[in-house]
Amino acid sequence: MKTTTQFTLAGLILLLSAFTLTNSINWEISQGHSIKFSGTDAEGIFKTMTGDITFDESNIDSSQFSFTIDVNSINTGNGMKNKHAVSSKWFDASNHPSIQFESNKFSKTDKEYLVTGLLEIHGIEKEITIPFSFINNSFVAKFSINRLDYKVGNTKGMNNKVSNEIKLDVTIPVISK
Amino acid sequence: MNKTLLHGIVAGLLTALASISYLMLYESILYVDFSQILNVGSVGGASIISGLLIAAGYLILEKMNKEKWKGGLNVLIILLSFLSILGPISISLPLEIDFPELFPGLAIPMHFFPALIFFGLQPFFLKKT
Repeated sequence: MKTTTQFTLAGLILLLSAFTLTNSINWEISQGHSIKFSGTDAEGIFKTMTGDITFDESNIDSSQFSFTIDVNSINTGNGMKNKHAVSSKWFDASNHPSIQFESNKFSKTDKEYLVTGLLEIHGIEKEITIPFSFINNSFVAKFSINRLDYKVGNTKGMNNKVSNEIKLDVTIPVISK
Repeated sequence: MNKTLLHGIVAGLLTALASISYLMLYESILYVDFSQILNVGSVGGASIISGLLIAAGYLILEKMNKEKWKGGLNVLIILLSFLSILGPISISLPLEIDFPELFPGLAIPMHFFPALIFFGLQPFFLKKT
């Protein structure tokens, strides 16, 4: 009888720990996320983002990121620039209303994590590797992209004033699901 | 008190009154909040200073006995008012402020209030020759 009770308890503990593990790797994006971009003559944020995050520091191969950013939520601090940014000359938000990222590989270095995936901007999909850290339930990534790789704007006329290299500074606080 | 200086003070105060009224109406009608950039204090202060600056220009001409140049000064004031609207058009507001596209509609008219009110009050402050 005692042995049966011990086995039942051990089984229950194992079962509960499995649920704990499952719970700890699914994350929900919480308030206060920020997606800042900056370059010469181009600076601002995207205010709206949704996504699914599965991330386990002890088993990063099982991780999965999927993000969608609403292009129309761009804010440069200047109303006319905002309208210009979503026009067909730049992001063409009416035809390409979202920026998407879908991960397909994770790895870890001494200092940070790396996620490789497909980034789709302006309807153009390219593979990119993004370094990031995960501290205090926040994902933080700083990286750069070349806007011309995604045909966002061009280098003609005044467009040339905007640098091709655009820095991105992303902070995504999360809460465990 | 010097009549021109009094003209500047009255114009500045009325500009402040007009600008603050416009600010409060604009923000309440359109449900926007630009208080981080424009608030009662900053608008009132800038309005009074602009009235005094215009009066200072007139006073300098009076001291130099160049009263005929007042027409030229008026043209310069109008020109500066027009040029100053480049500020609200080109400014990038702090990114946490919503509806930045509504900011020029608030700020641009205010840039014409000082000249409009100063010139409008001119008949009340004409000097007897």
